[in-house]
Amino acid sequence: MIKGMFTYGSMPVLERMVQFTGARQQLIAHNIANLSTPYFKAKDLDPAQFQAQLRDAIGKRSRKPNAMRQELELGSSKQVRMRRGQMQFRPEQKNENILFHDQNNRDVERTMQDLVENALAHRTSVELLKSQFDLLRTAIRERV
Amino acid sequence: MFGALDTSTSALVAQRTRAQAIAANFANRDTHFDVNGKNNPFQRRIAILAPGDPATGNPNGVHVKEIMLDDHFQLKHDPTNKHADENGNIKTTNIDPMIEHVNMVEVARAYEANIAAAEATKSMIQTSLRLLA
Repeated sequence: MIKGMFTYGSMPVLERMVQFTGARQQLIAHNIANLSTPYFKAKDLDPAQFQAQLRDAIGKRSRKPNAMRQELELGSSKQVRMRRGQMQFRPEQKNENILFHDQNNRDVERTMQDLVENALAHRTSVELLKSQFDLLRTAIRERV
Repeated sequence: MFGALDTSTSALVAQRTRAQAIAANFANRDTHFDVNGKNNPFQRRIAILAPGDPATGNPNGVHVKEIMLDDHFQLKHDPTNKHADENGNIKTTNIDPMIEHVNMVEVARAYEANIAAAEATKSMIQTSLRLLA
């Protein structure tokens, strides 16, 4: 593999974003599946926390020489950890809503909003990643 | 991400099972006698959900843990009925159509929510696959 081909520019950031939204989609699907399960408490990953993590990593990267070609080193947070180049997720319980009589703290509206937001974030990242790949392809073909 | 589709599908199956239990309750609202003609009313079925899937060990999704039988009955005063006890009562089912109806609406909405989740997952998979094409 040509070194730096897929770590150039915004690609590593977008890649992490796609991985995060993919993992969060699983959690949201699980939360929606258990909307009427007694004793169930929803677990989720906090996108704001991940964004902060990503922001720190981008900041650290941009301070390096030849920043655009550097690898993105994502730090670890409580919910998202890096282990041997792989992202590991530890979702946490959200105790935001009132507890219903069946000991479930369901919040249908917010869960569905999270679902739509997450799908849109995923789509945006993939589309941006795709335009980067298209750029590469144009360069390889030497034709516009 | 394909796991998210499994999760949504398990919920569709669980909600359909719940709908079947509710439909059985509706259908047997006036079933106060068993097949042998005894005053043994139909017991209300309640589907109990629990997260995960014990069959595959998958922690995601939802399954019907058990179909609980409601062992309560309503006594109805009907002294002319030949099955009436010494106080002139017969046992009838403990099924309130209003409660069943509300539960059925909830099931339908939960089913819809999971369809929406599956659609979102599907479109995410599709956009990801477009990276390859």
